[in-house]
Amino acid sequence: MTRDPSKFWNPYLAGMALGLVLLSSYVIMGKGLGASGAWFRVGVATVQAVAPGHVQANPALSGVTEAGSPLDDWLVFLMVGVVLGGLVAAYTSGRLGIEVLKGPHISVAGRLAMALAGGALMGLGAKFARGCASGQALTGGALMSSGAWAFMGVFFGGGYALAYFVRRAWR
Amino acid sequence: MSTYLFPFTSLVAEQRQLGLVVAVLIGFGFGFVLERAGFGRAQKLVGQFLLSEMTVLKVMFGAVVTAMVGAVVLSGFGLFDLRAVADTSTSPTWLWPMVVGGFVVGMGFVISSYCPGTSVVAMASGKIDGLFTVLGVILGSVAAGELLAIPAVARFNDSSYLGHVYLYDLLGVPPAVVAGAVVLVAVAAFMGAEKLEFIFGGDDLPDSPSRPRRAVFASLVALGAIGLVTIAFPRPTTAAPAGPATISAETLARRLFDEPWTLRVLDVRAKEACFASRVLGSECAPVETLKELALADVAAARDLVVVGEGDLAALPPEVAGYHGKVLVLQQGFQGWKDYALTPPAPLPAGASAAEVEAWKVRAGVAAAMTGVKQAPPPAAPAGGAAPAKRKAGGGGCSG
Repeated sequence: MTRDPSKFWNPYLAGMALGLVLLSSYVIMGKGLGASGAWFRVGVATVQAVAPGHVQANPALSGVTEAGSPLDDWLVFLMVGVVLGGLVAAYTSGRLGIEVLKGPHISVAGRLAMALAGGALMGLGAKFARGCASGQALTGGALMSSGAWAFMGVFFGGGYALAYFVRRAWR
Repeated sequence: MSTYLFPFTSLVAEQRQLGLVVAVLIGFGFGFVLERAGFGRAQKLVGQFLLSEMTVLKVMFGAVVTAMVGAVVLSGFGLFDLRAVADTSTSPTWLWPMVVGGFVVGMGFVISSYCPGTSVVAMASGKIDGLFTVLGVILGSVAAGELLAIPAVARFNDSSYLGHVYLYDLLGVPPAVVAGAVVLVAVAAFMGAEKLEFIFGGDDLPDSPSRPRRAVFASLVALGAIGLVTIAFPRPTTAAPAGPATISAETLARRLFDEPWTLRVLDVRAKEACFASRVLGSECAPVETLKELALADVAAARDLVVVGEGDLAALPPEVAGYHGKVLVLQQGFQGWKDYALTPPAPLPAGASAAEVEAWKVRAGVAAAMTGVKQAPPPAAPAGGAAPAKRKAGGGGCSG
């Protein structure tokens, strides 16, 4: 395969491929895909390393320590796979490289601040929503969960509500 | 548990290591496809909200529809238990927290231009902004965990709980009908998206050849149609039990004495009633607190016995997610009270050996559970009854 960083899969075929990954997860594991839960567990593991008593004192944090370590979980291992899969795909497509993706009229610091702030909002929201775009929209949506479809509606609603204000960052 | 294509107890006990290896493999596929779709690049993702390109819609909706019709077709052929898998894979609905949380996630998506999953792919391909988004997700979710220590926040987080509600339950139609309708909506949305790209995309329009598009549309519609056809198939009746499996008070009493380590007894009555009096060794787990037990995630080695006020018509959804055997106590706590906490009436003279045996067990249970000694049973009838087995030895568990 020739490496062409500007070449992506046809979105419809990529969608079908992603759907088949999701379906195989249901069939083999009886579980779906998820991302935010794994990072919550990484966060709790970090807090636990620094202040174990603090985690024990808060049931919302200690809830993920049931198997001993918060990292001993399906989602965390799934995330290890995502990192490896993303790395291999980026390398083989020629898109692997240290850089900051940003629009022409924003500073690097500004872009990184937005990335951090947006990430924090997603982490916060996903805890209340019981999932993010992977755990709710993909996994729940495909299994026809009503809550997941409600999530999808407000997720895109939230995005479009703010889109006007952030477009300067990209144009 | 049902005998479908694969057992979904893959993450408990000895299968756990293999299951976690599979998790890495599935994650690899997930990450690889996301990267190849372009989801490791912020511009491609945020384009959805700036209307310059519709890749997010096409890939996400395409994936949802593919997995949905795939699951419906597999379940139509009896290879897959759609509802059981949905109960283990999806979260139950807490409507308002999910609506508010979803809105916040959507805002975070536009600001960072990643979602929690795609930021990982961006990070893996060396994008520093992806790394910062991942760090943000960690900070935000731990901050949410800290906020949940505030009672008012925790109350909101636990409010409007609806359990597992699926679209086909809401609409009262078979899942294949929902999937078929979603296929049509998706194809219409895809065609609309092509139009929007044509209008807003301008010169940057990624060339989107029509051949693969038509092939994908055709396969989705065909799969949707196959799903609809399977509605007519006779169900591969898994002897659909009319209600959950049950256990009698006598069997429960015997097992509590003989092999208590094989049981986990959950009392789902109101907390006050359970605290006042309950089955020996049971946990008070009122229905609203069941989700805290994470029954779908714990090891399934012990049989779960559910004790209600009386008979339970249906299992609470959290209990149904348990991977092991679930038994409902017949007549609930009332039945237990009548059997185990009430001394049996004295036997009439001339009772059969079996009756005497049952009486002894019951008297022993009642004595052990209540601490009240019973009158001795009547003499065994002549005719050489087998010596009664000592079943109910009550050692120090009275009260």
